[in-house]
Amino acid sequence: MATVTFDKATRIYPGSTKPAVDAIDIEVADGEFLVLVGPSGCGKSTTLRMLAGLEEVNDGHIYIGDRDVTDVPPKDRDIAMVFQNYALYPHMTVAENMGFALKIQGVNKEERAQRVLEAAQLLDLEPYLGRKPKALSGGQRQRVAMGRAIVRQPQVFLMDEPLSNLDAKLRVQTRTQIASLQRRLGVTTVYVTHDQTEALTMGDRIAVLKDGVLQQVGTPRDLYESPSNVFVAGFIGSPAMNLFTTKIVSDGLQFGTGVAKVDRDVVASATGGTATVGIRPEDLQIKSSGEGLPVEVDVVEELGADGYLYGHAEVDGQRVDIVARVDGRKHPNAGEKIVVTPVPQHVHAFDSESGERLTKPVSAPAGV
Amino acid sequence: MTVLERAEARASRRLPWGNPLVYLVAVVVIVAMLAPVAYIVLGGFRTNSQITVDPSGFPDPWNVGNYLGVLGGPVFWREVLNSVIVAVATTFGVVALGLMASYVIARYTFRARGAMYALFAAGLMFPLTVAITPLYFVVKTIGLMNTLPGVILPQIAFQLPVTVIILVPFLRAIPDEIQEAAEIDGCSRLGFFWRMVIPLSRPGVITVGILAFVFSWNAYLLPLFILNNQDAFTLPLGVQAFSSQYSQDTAKVLAFTSLSMIPALVFFSLFERRIVGGLTGAVKG
Repeated sequence: MATVTFDKATRIYPGSTKPAVDAIDIEVADGEFLVLVGPSGCGKSTTLRMLAGLEEVNDGHIYIGDRDVTDVPPKDRDIAMVFQNYALYPHMTVAENMGFALKIQGVNKEERAQRVLEAAQLLDLEPYLGRKPKALSGGQRQRVAMGRAIVRQPQVFLMDEPLSNLDAKLRVQTRTQIASLQRRLGVTTVYVTHDQTEALTMGDRIAVLKDGVLQQVGTPRDLYESPSNVFVAGFIGSPAMNLFTTKIVSDGLQFGTGVAKVDRDVVASATGGTATVGIRPEDLQIKSSGEGLPVEVDVVEELGADGYLYGHAEVDGQRVDIVARVDGRKHPNAGEKIVVTPVPQHVHAFDSESGERLTKPVSAPAGV
Repeated sequence: MTVLERAEARASRRLPWGNPLVYLVAVVVIVAMLAPVAYIVLGGFRTNSQITVDPSGFPDPWNVGNYLGVLGGPVFWREVLNSVIVAVATTFGVVALGLMASYVIARYTFRARGAMYALFAAGLMFPLTVAITPLYFVVKTIGLMNTLPGVILPQIAFQLPVTVIILVPFLRAIPDEIQEAAEIDGCSRLGFFWRMVIPLSRPGVITVGILAFVFSWNAYLLPLFILNNQDAFTLPLGVQAFSSQYSQDTAKVLAFTSLSMIPALVFFSLFERRIVGGLTGAVKG
């Protein structure tokens, strides 16, 4: 068991001037489940591969425990990795696949068989130990890949989108299994995904990346309740947060004919006379008329218990798409005109130029 | 009409045994290909007088004397042994060297990689026939005239281009993730070669191995130049020598020829499926 520390770790691919991963600082506590999330091309896989030793670190350091592993080859890092396509060895049986690392370490046959069997029991793989990967279903292959990692009893698990090749239902199931397994084994885990739902449901903490730059690290709740910039606000949460730029008025932000109330000190730190307001779909209240943002309903998605209303509004001559959560049984219909107002405590304000979250200048520390 | 009946009606509209034209073409091609072989094999069972009287007839009576004569003498077996030694050594050399060269070209990135591959590919356009005279002098200079290594070494060299060209795409098709997984599991690059590349490339290795074996078994020109001593003759040379020695005894020559063809034929027909598999199949993850 160990901690993992990225200390200004940077990766610049040969032939490129822009770093794929730019001076990342992350600390992962012992036994913690950290999820790296971001859109494709954001550097999350590169970050994981740097930790695995499959990608060179051009600047900065990476530590596993107290050991600087920046220039240590992958096999000496005491890690195990689960790949997106599982990377099972096609010519070996499931048992051989799982025991391969132990065989190379020179662990004797009995102990190897014992450890493979234990892992197989944990993952319900016992009946398949003699099969080749070709004869397994996608979900079983995924479990074998997990098993191969578990058998090694490494200090850190690395997982690179291990669920993206599974169908939707199996993905949800396996998601829970992996998370509970990780908690049971207590092994520090770094998990890469592009799916923010996976990130929110599985991680102890989440690190959001964009263009190789770390945007925010925090618990799922932190990220959801106080995203540190417009990108994180828009990325975390589904459907995405409503975001648009609006004028700053005396006691908050202009919100149609009404006002989204924001602390005066907060908006005072904004550059210029405008700010970006952010409100989650569930924090919009719907009225048939009155003060607020007039919205024309385009479509309502019914999800049973509740539904999502998709509509559009006009803010300073710009068309803005609005999503609001509505009651599944009683909601406005397409074509209707309604008015939405924000729930006061749940208004997020961001600088319209830098995109950073606007916070009180003194009382709260800037950034996260 | 039930579904089953309908299905039957539909099926019966097509001829149950295919298009007769296809069969006609197939039969013509098969006859054209098999006739010479059949003529040689059957001719061995006839006597010279039978051949003279009716060149295209069947053996009547069947006569096994020619075959027994060839199999009973020491010449045939000595030449078989020589051919086997040359073919096996060539095959091993080609597979071992070809696999190593292909692994480097396929899976290491280095500056001269493209040039190396092009060099091997260029070897394909450089037939043995063209090089035979200089090759003769080289072999003579290093003192390998009349020895089997004098045939084996050049054969390995000339079979390498095909081997590398077949194996490189094969090894390239092994997913990078498998190499990375092996690396994390503790394999060095050589370990990866032994534990992953060799087992995973087995279909390709079998293909190039068989091609090398058959190439060597049928090689005529190079042994002709290098091997002047009767004791070192391989089978193709032996057939040639035998037929000039017994040019009057056609039946015996036919028997000798058909016996010398058999190993290559058997080999090819046994492994034909593997050869094709190795040419088309890649590694599946």
